[in-house]
Amino acid sequence: MTTTAGEIDLRGDEPLYTPPEERIPFRSVDPADAWPLIGAGLSSLCLTWLIYERLTPLTGTIGFGIAWYATFLLIAWFVARANHDKLRARDQVVRIVMWSGGLALIVPLVAILGYIVLKGYHALHASFFTKDERFVGSLDKGTSGGARHAIIGTLEQVGIAMCISVPLGITTALYLNEIGGRLARPVRTIVDAMSALPSIVAGLFIYTSFVVVINHGQQNGLAGGLALAVMMLPTVTRTSEIVLRLVPGGLREAGLALGATDWRTTRNVVLPTARTGLVTAVILGLARVIGETAPLLLTIGGSRFVNWNVFKGQQSSLVLFVYNIFHTQTTAEQWKRGWTGALVLILLVLVLFVTARVIGGRGPAHIGRIKRWRLARKGLA
Amino acid sequence: MTSPSELDPFETHTGRPRSMPAPPPPSPPPAFDNTEAAPVYARFTDTDTMTLPPDPFIARPASRSAGITAQNVSAWFGDHKVLERVSLDMAPNRVTALIGPSGCGKSTFLRILNRMHELVHGAALAGVVELGGTDIYRGNLPVTETRRRIGMVFQKPNPFPTMTIAENVVSGLKLSGMKSTRSYAEIVEDCLVQAGLWNEVRNRLAAPGGSLSGGQQQRLCIARALAVEPHVLLMDEPCSALDPTSTRRIEETIAEICERITVVIVTHNMQQAQRVSQSCAFFLAGENEPGRIVESGPTERLFSEPEDTRTLDYVRGRFG
Repeated sequence: MTTTAGEIDLRGDEPLYTPPEERIPFRSVDPADAWPLIGAGLSSLCLTWLIYERLTPLTGTIGFGIAWYATFLLIAWFVARANHDKLRARDQVVRIVMWSGGLALIVPLVAILGYIVLKGYHALHASFFTKDERFVGSLDKGTSGGARHAIIGTLEQVGIAMCISVPLGITTALYLNEIGGRLARPVRTIVDAMSALPSIVAGLFIYTSFVVVINHGQQNGLAGGLALAVMMLPTVTRTSEIVLRLVPGGLREAGLALGATDWRTTRNVVLPTARTGLVTAVILGLARVIGETAPLLLTIGGSRFVNWNVFKGQQSSLVLFVYNIFHTQTTAEQWKRGWTGALVLILLVLVLFVTARVIGGRGPAHIGRIKRWRLARKGLA
Repeated sequence: MTSPSELDPFETHTGRPRSMPAPPPPSPPPAFDNTEAAPVYARFTDTDTMTLPPDPFIARPASRSAGITAQNVSAWFGDHKVLERVSLDMAPNRVTALIGPSGCGKSTFLRILNRMHELVHGAALAGVVELGGTDIYRGNLPVTETRRRIGMVFQKPNPFPTMTIAENVVSGLKLSGMKSTRSYAEIVEDCLVQAGLWNEVRNRLAAPGGSLSGGQQQRLCIARALAVEPHVLLMDEPCSALDPTSTRRIEETIAEICERITVVIVTHNMQQAQRVSQSCAFFLAGENEPGRIVESGPTERLFSEPEDTRTLDYVRGRFG
């Protein structure tokens, strides 16, 4: 006789109640190990204090922290060793090290972000996006003027860089991975070398080859975009190549076995399968260049008012805006705008990342509304 | 100056030699309204082994089967010789099974038959492979057209993960640039019915191809291979990763399609070779030696009274 959970069995002589099943919580860490850990933390703090304040003439906060961490690991090891065998004790200590590694990464990140938000939100008004620095002087308030010219400049320059390096990078990655001719090895080496190129050299290269030779010394947004493209290209290429390599060879063979040409297989099978990864490649390339100041210093010239034209006249950019404010201004009131510029730059990166994820970041098996409609029109859904 | 179509011994997509007269037109459709002809595909719905007699009202496409012949085929990977002077005749409208222990070159031989071998870096080949009398390596048939006519089903099911079930079926048409007079919906239904998958997926044709179970994925791959109307279908251990029910389904499918298509199947399963094939070839590679065909012939003879003792030992399961 079977009874489902929570159901009263009326067929028996007396009603039986089967309670719902109790789920077992999976634990990888024994809670009994937590208390010794807290104890180890406290005792190591006391020991370090003793060493620093009473026994030795050592001073300094950073040294204290490091000494505390080292003693903590040592005491944690001894406590674990007292309770468990060697293997398990080692496992516990390594687990602590891993956890602290994760924390050590998160803490500064959150601190930087929080600091910029705290500093930057004072001057964050609508006018920051609608005005430029045309009428702003050193004695004006920090909230006066805005960074419209810099935001436009950043978007245009990064847009140019993307338009150049994304097609070029993905094509190169396809060459390296799908064709892999005799030149594949030297190309890969050059791309690797390019990714280690100092950003000021990229700026210098565009300055000497494009600005001086072709543009007759005129700095403009296009030159900035080109310099950023030089920085972005290796990142996009290498990441795309890795992503394309992850596409199972069986899918390529399936395409070819159906009588497809190499290009059709690449376009209809390989690229769609790798789409999510390729979006990641573009995002990584974007992240690489959006905060670059050095290539822009020599190429865009800087400007205090809006210039939409990337082919003529100097432009500004958010990073250059921030750099110039801290470089030339001397008062905290003026620095406020710089902090806001940094905050807007971070927000811009966030918006671009989210947009890229929404456009192309779904899993390969995801079938969107547009695709469903197209299929229905063909009678395939 | 000869036009490419004159060099082509087949009329594309019909598989009928040009010299042969056209088959008589199909009998006119029955006069009654058969919109409610649900029982037509009844044999694919049930999981029991009952097989209904063939329904005279189902219009089956004409046979486009073509024989495939290998003469003195040798193959290398770099300096390593994996096949030596293999000759085999795979007759049209029949199922030929390739058996033998692992590493004896069966799969390599199969991949040579539709020019997939040359995709491997460092691969080399000697000998002649003919499809219906045309040399596929030296003739004028483009490699893409060769592969379209000689379809392949792989060991591991590999539906395209970015496409829906329906798209997977018709993907070959798009990939090979093939034009068809029938609508996509018709092709999808027809091929899925042939592969014995229609009733399981008819209500979720817009689901991703990867959402199916392993056996269903493999049948989807068969449907995909059938959609481009191949003359020959090569199957490389198509059931090695599948459960018995899916295996039986695929064997039924093979029996069904071999009326129209030449089938060559690599299998490790002796019973399967006996069940599905009419001809059989036994491959064997000695230690540090390339693979050779020890014996080939009708399946019954190979399994009951083989000429070579090694074949007898293998089919009885004494080695391999």
